[in-house]
Order: sequence, then C-alpha cells, then structure tokens
Amino acid sequence: MQPASSPALRIDGLTKTYRLGLTGRVTRQALHPLDLEVRRGEIFGYLGPNGSGKTTTLKVLMGLVRADAGTVEVLGLPLADPAWRRRAGYLPEHPYFYDYLTPAEYLGYAGRLLGLETGLMAARSEELLRLVGLSDSRDVPMRRFSKGMVQRLGLAQALLNDPEIVFLDEPMSGLDPIGRHMVRNIILGLRERGKTVFFSTHILPDAETLCDRLALLRAGRLLKVGRLDEILAIDISHFEVLCTGGGAAAREAAAAAGAGAAREMGERWRVEIGEPALAALVSAVAAAGARVLGVQPVRESLEEYFFREMGGDTARDPWTLAD
Amino acid sequence: MDAGRLTRIAAVAANTHREAVRERVLYNLVFFAIVMILSGLLLGQLSIRQDEKIIKDIGLAAMDVFGTLIGVFLGVSLMSKEIERRSLYPLLAKPLSREEFLAGKFLGLSFTLLVNVTVMALGLYATLLATGRGADPALLKAVLPIYQGLVLVVAIAVLFSTVASSALAAVGTVCVVVAGRYSDVVRNMRDVVPDAPTWLIEGLYYAMPNFRNFDFKNRVVYGDPVGWNDLGFVTVYWLLYLALTLGAAAAAFRSRDFH
Repeated sequence: MQPASSPALRIDGLTKTYRLGLTGRVTRQALHPLDLEVRRGEIFGYLGPNGSGKTTTLKVLMGLVRADAGTVEVLGLPLADPAWRRRAGYLPEHPYFYDYLTPAEYLGYAGRLLGLETGLMAARSEELLRLVGLSDSRDVPMRRFSKGMVQRLGLAQALLNDPEIVFLDEPMSGLDPIGRHMVRNIILGLRERGKTVFFSTHILPDAETLCDRLALLRAGRLLKVGRLDEILAIDISHFEVLCTGGGAAAREAAAAAGAGAAREMGERWRVEIGEPALAALVSAVAAAGARVLGVQPVRESLEEYFFREMGGDTARDPWTLAD
Repeated sequence: MDAGRLTRIAAVAANTHREAVRERVLYNLVFFAIVMILSGLLLGQLSIRQDEKIIKDIGLAAMDVFGTLIGVFLGVSLMSKEIERRSLYPLLAKPLSREEFLAGKFLGLSFTLLVNVTVMALGLYATLLATGRGADPALLKAVLPIYQGLVLVVAIAVLFSTVASSALAAVGTVCVVVAGRYSDVVRNMRDVVPDAPTWLIEGLYYAMPNFRNFDFKNRVVYGDPVGWNDLGFVTVYWLLYLALTLGAAAAAFRSRDFH
C-alpha cells in the first residue's frame, strides 16, 4: 500500500504518436509531452474537443495503447505494476459488453478477473445494479439493452471492486437526462467517500457542475489545469452595473463613460462596462443623480471559455501532422 | 504460476466457452456434421461388405471437415470480436495481462472443440451401434489426432486474429490450413516452378504445419495398426507447432495498440 500522500495520478512527459497506413510513414502526434497531477479525493475533469487526446490518454493509462515516452504513476505505483488495477475502475467510451451475457453474468466475470471473493462479488453486483437502475434487468441478455442501459452497466462494472480511483471516458454519453442525473449523483457520492474520479468529457455543463479541478486539452497539448474559478477568474470579461433613477442624464453619462446601451428592467437599469472604465462610470452615473445598486463581475462560462480557447472551431482536424 | 493468474485464465476460458455455446452457427455446423455421420448409414447399404468401413470413413471425414470449419469460425470470430467490438478494453484495464487473456481465449476455444469432437465421436459410435457393429475403440486413435489438428487450426486463427481484421484472419487461416493439408504440393513446387530456390521451398514446407501428420483415418478404417509411438510423434510435433504459433500470437498481441 502506497502512502496516501502520493497523488492519485501523476503523468510526466507522456507522448504518443500514431503511425498510419501500411508503411507507418505517416504519423499523427496524439499526445505532446503531457504533465498532469490528480490529487486524491478530487473529481478531475479532462476536457477537450473530439480528437484532442482525451481517450488516448485514458487508453495509455489502461494499457490499451503503449506510450512512446513518459512515466505514469497511479495511486503511487508505476503504470506497469498490475497491483493498482485491483484498486481502480475504468469505463471506456462507447462500451460494449458481450450481448449474449446478462448483467449479473458479466459482473460475475468481471469480479473473477478482479479476484473478488464470490460472496462479496454477488453482494456488490446486486448493490451496483440497484445503484445504476438495472436490478429489474439483471437476468436479461444485453442484446436487448439500449445504449443507455449498456452505459449504466459499464459504470457498474467500473465500480465493482469499490475502487480508490475511477477513470470514466465520456460517462454521460448515450444517457437520457435521468441517467445523466444518476451518473452525476454517483460521481458526487464517490467524492464524498474519498474516491478519486478522473473523467473525460466534452459536455461542459457536467464539468462545470461536478469538477473540483479540470484540464483543458487541445490537439494533444494541455492548455490549462486548475480549479474552475482559477481558470475563469483571469477571464472576467466585464462588469454589470445595476442602477436606479437618474433619468436620461444618468444613462447619457454612462454612455459617455464607455458603457454599452442601458438595459431597462422596470425602475432599474443595467449597463455593461470593462474594468478600466468602471470607477469613472460609477462616479458619472452617481453625479447624474442615479443610485448604484450593485456591481457584478461577469465571468465567461466554461463553454464560452472553451470555445474561445479552441478558436471557436472544434470541428476542424485537431491532429498535428508530424510528417 | 500463482492462483490468481489461474483464476483469471479460467474465467476468460469459461466465458469463451459460454460465448461459443450461445453461438447459433456452431449448432448448425455440429448438426450438419451429425447428419453427415448418419448419412454413412445410407451409403453403407450401397456397398456390399464395405458398409462398416464407409460409416467409419464418412464419420471421421465429417468430424475432420466440420471440425476444421468450426475451428476457423470460432477461432477467428471469438478473438476478433473482442478486439473489433472493444469488449476487451474493460477487461485489460483489470489485473488481467494480455498473455493471460490470450491463454484463456485459446483454452476456452480448445475446450469447446473438445466438446464438439466428443459429440461427433459419440454420434459415430451411436451410428455403428445402431447398425449392429461394435464400438471399435481403435477409432479413438484417429479421433485424437483429428482433435489435435483442430486445436492447431484454432491456434493459427488466434494468431491471425491478433494481427489482422476478422476477414483477413479468416482468409489467412484457411490458406495456412489448406496449404498444410497439401504440403506435398508445396514440396513438389519445383516441378511447376523449376527456378524456385530450394531454400524458399524448403522454408515454406517446414513453416507450414503439415496437417497430414494428423490424418490416421485410412489406417484406422482399414485396420492398419497405429502404434503409440506414431501418436507420440504427432503429439510432440503438435506441441512444437502450438508453442511456436501461440508464442508468435502472444508477441503480436503484446505489442499491439488498440485504437
């Protein structure tokens, strides 16, 4: 057992280049040297547009893809040490579980691979099937499952060993609003129990609601890592000034100070202004007879920030052609 | 080998067998094999005093041909599906090494073939008994090498499935099996291509497993003695090729990226 002081996940200089075609002469660099640290007990969001390297990172961590360079430690253990895998869970993107099996059979299979004792495995299976809302379908072959039901089972198998760290690749994918709410609650419940959750997503409201910290990835490069307020604090775009009274003179004074057009809200009115002109505007509208009720900094939403950082064009090919 | 490793290999093998058992195509093939074996009853009546030989001959041939089809089908489809449908991903994220997965898959397929061959052999014995012939135990000296050959077919299918798509793996496996059944043709290639270098012909001949080594059908049917030393030689040959094929499969599977 490693000391709990070690981070849940440490990635140093991880790189991966895919070789394409029969000759392998054409390459695409999926990950540029990537450094990342995830603390124990936090929900860490891994964000980026399609093709930004999120799934590649997760596949390297899960041993599905071999990195070209770099070192990874999970729960204080080297990536190659299989011991940490007994204490981790993984939900792949668009999972498929044998359609001839029932959920109960699949969880039994997964439990044997994890080395769980039979009684404990059965109890955990029942508990998890109830948690993800599949109790009634425990003996139904998965060929009859909807995409959302498969996703729910994927989550159950990822939690079977009561893992210390869970890696979830697009966990909300294919889920209806009820399913998404359920997954959100499960993720929050894991944090309450001191578990670490590393999840990749491009659904920004989910990241905004759930994550303690997040990382933004573009074309295999890490753009930013930090708490949401740290990432967005530097991006206070403007202030909203809420006023009342003052008539046309106050509104003209606000315009003269550089504010945009006033938005009328009954007896109150509101203008937007950048930080440099804020003090002058407050003085000017007060001098013109208006009462300033409040000054509110306006931050970008994560979505606005994301689109700006991604150049507003997330559909373009995010790969960097290295050859 | 630690108990955990054995448990994981056994879990993969059991799941592979369960998948095969729930595969409807398998039942179709076994059904046709049984029909072929029973058809020996009819054909036997057409030949005076040769009926027992014909029943045995057709029964063993059906076991060999349908067993090969089952081996190619199961070996390719059950391994390729894991990779192409990505059911492998959550498994490899658990403390299951790629070698353990491959070993489990191969053992599960081999066990499924054993069950199939046993069912077909029982069908053949039932046919013999139903027509008043004895249950000749010497038949097992042909059945065992047939099973060994089928296991080798599965190993070849698994090897191809680790490096190629299911379609290519099926084509590759069939090519090797056909070439292995007619390896004399490879050896006599110089009759057709006189300029072909000896090293190439000899290399090809020895690289291909010679499936004729597993063919004791005629000797058993016509009552020629098959000694234990013959079966021992075939078993050593079989183990050697199995080790080479599975070693190559493990090496290819270990270095493969799943993207």
